[in-house]
Amino acid sequence: MPPIIQIQNLTKKFGNLAAVDHLDLEIEEGEILGLLGPNGAGKTTAILMLATVIKPTEGTALVGGFDIRKSPDKVRGLLGIAFQEPKMLWVATPWDVVNWHAKVCGLSTEERKQRVKQVLETLDMWEPRHKNVHALSGGMRKRVEMAKVLIQRPKIAIVDEPTTQIDIVGKHKIWNMLLELRDEGSTIILATNELYEADRLSDRVCIMHRGKLLVCDTPKTLKDSILGGDIIDIQLEKDASPTVVEELKSFKEVVDIMQVKPTNLRLYLNRVEEVVPQIMNLLMKKNVPINSIRMSEPSLDDVFAHYTGLTIEEAQKDEG
Amino acid sequence: MRAIWFVSQIALFGLIASRMMSIPNYFQYYVAGLSVMTLYSAAIFIGFDIYEEAEHGVFEYLLSLPVSRKQLVLGRSIGGGLRAFIYVGPLIALSLYVIGAINPLSFLVALFALFLFSFGVSGMSITIAVIIKSSDRFDILMGVLDALIVRLSTAMYPLAVVQAANPLYGGLASFNPVTYAADLFRWGTGIETMTLSNPLWPLLGIIAFFAFFTFVGVIIYDRRIEGGGWQ
Ligand SMILES: Nc1ncnc2c1ncn2[C@@H]1O[C@H](COP(=O)(O)OP(=O)(O)OP(=O)(O)O)[C@@H](O)[C@H]1O
Ligand SMILES: [Mg+2]
Repeated sequence: MPPIIQIQNLTKKFGNLAAVDHLDLEIEEGEILGLLGPNGAGKTTAILMLATVIKPTEGTALVGGFDIRKSPDKVRGLLGIAFQEPKMLWVATPWDVVNWHAKVCGLSTEERKQRVKQVLETLDMWEPRHKNVHALSGGMRKRVEMAKVLIQRPKIAIVDEPTTQIDIVGKHKIWNMLLELRDEGSTIILATNELYEADRLSDRVCIMHRGKLLVCDTPKTLKDSILGGDIIDIQLEKDASPTVVEELKSFKEVVDIMQVKPTNLRLYLNRVEEVVPQIMNLLMKKNVPINSIRMSEPSLDDVFAHYTGLTIEEAQKDEG
Repeated sequence: MRAIWFVSQIALFGLIASRMMSIPNYFQYYVAGLSVMTLYSAAIFIGFDIYEEAEHGVFEYLLSLPVSRKQLVLGRSIGGGLRAFIYVGPLIALSLYVIGAINPLSFLVALFALFLFSFGVSGMSITIAVIIKSSDRFDILMGVLDALIVRLSTAMYPLAVVQAANPLYGGLASFNPVTYAADLFRWGTGIETMTLSNPLWPLLGIIAFFAFFTFVGVIIYDRRIEGGGWQ
C-alpha cells in the first residue's frame, strides 16, 4: 500500500526565513507519527501546509493521493486538526463549539448527539458544556479543542501539542483515545515537545530542526542507534579534569561524554558490564574518588539532544 | 458612540432635506432610502468581524474545515447579510408602515433584491477587509466609501436631483448598487412606479454586484490568506 501522506520537497518561507526547508517524508496509513523539534523548528508550519491552511512556497504533498496544491478541498475532506492554540468560534459554549464542528464535518444528527456526549464525558467536559468558552481554564479549552478531532474521527488526524496545559489524568485519557483512534484505522500526526508523550504513542518519531528533518525512525531504533545502548551517570568527589575526560573517551565502548557539572559525568556507551570496572579502576588510579554511579537507558530526551545539539546539560549548567 | 453620531446625522439630514425637496411624498421616499442605507452600513460590519477572527486565529480553523473556499466565503457573506437583515428588519417594517401600500408580488421581488444586496455588501466588505489587512485603514476606507456610495446614489434624493447637481455624479449614481436597492425597494412598495419603468435593470445590477463580490471574494480570500497567515 502506498504511503497515505507523501511530503515532497515541501518548503515554506516567511520573508527570508525558511520555516520549513525542503522537507521530504512519507507517512504510512494507520501509524502515529511523532513530530518533534525545538520551538520554532517548523512543526506547526508543516502541519498547516498539510491541512491546506497555508500554501507552500515550494514543493508539495500528496494526502490520500490528493495534491495539497491542486485538490485542497479533497485533502480537507480527509483531515481533522486540533490546533496548538485552541480556536474558539466567536462567543459560544463547549457544546456549541464541538457540535458545530461535527455538523460541518458532516456527522448525522444521531451520530453527532451520541459522540458529542461520549467524548465530552470522557474528557470531563460534559458538566461545563454550557459554560462560556471564555470562562474556561486553559486546560479545559485545550480539551475542547481535542474533543473536536476525537468526535470527528477523521481518516487523518493532526494534533498539535495535544496535551499541553492538560493535567496528568487528562493526558492519559487523551493518549488512550488517540491510540484507540489509531487502532480504528486513522493515521495520526502528533506534533509535540513532550518527549515522553512522543515515545509512548508514536510508531515512528521524526525530529525537525530549523525547518529540516534530521531523523525519522522508531523510538527504539533511535534510542539504540546513536548513543550506544546504555548511559551511566557518575558523580565524583572532585572535579573531573580534561585529561580524565579524554582518557575516558579513549575507551572504544564509550560513544560520548557529557560533563553535566564539573563533578558530574554522563557517559553514553556500549557493553556497560565490561567497561564499568575498567572505568572505576581508571578513576581510582587518577585519584578521583567516585561518590555514586548510576546506570540508565537512553530516553528520547537523549536522542533529541543528540540530534538537535540542544543539550539538556547546557540548560542544567545555566541553572547550576 | 459611532452609532449615535450616525443616527443623529441622518435624522438631521432627513429633516433638512424634507424641507428642501419639492417632491411629493418625500418623507416616504426618504424612509425607504434610509432602510437601504442602514442595511448597507449593517452589512459592512462583517468586515470588522474578519479582523476579530484573524486576531483570535479562528481563520485558520475555518480554513481547515472540510468545506470549499467558495462555500466558506458564501457562507460568511450570507451570514453577514442575514445578520444585517435581522438588525435592520425593524426599520424595514417601520418604513413599510409609514409607506403603507404594498403590492405583494413586486414587494417580494424587491425583498429578494434587498437580500442579494445585503449579501453582496457583506461580500464586498469581506473582500476589502482581506485585501487591506489593517483594521484602522479598513475603518477609514469604509467611512469614505460609505460617504461616497450613499451620497452618490438615489438613497436620499432622486436621480434627477443628483444629475442636476453634476452629470458625472448622476452617471456614477446610476451605476451604484445602493441606487439599485433603493429604487427596487421603492418600486416594490409602490412609491416609485412612475419613475422606475423597468425593474429588470436594477435587479440585474444587484445580481451582478452580488455575483462579482462573491466570485472575487473567493479568489482574494484564497490568495491573501493562504499565503501564510494574516500578517
Ligand atoms: N505567520 C508567520 N509569519 C512569519 N513567521 C512565521 C509565521 N508562522 C511561523 N513563523 C516562523 O516560522 C518558524 C517555525 O514556526 P512554527 O510555529 O512552525 O514552529 P514549531 O515547530 O511549531 O514551534 P513550537 O514548538 O513553538 O510550536 C518560526 O521561526 C516562526 O517564527
Ligand atoms: Mg508549534
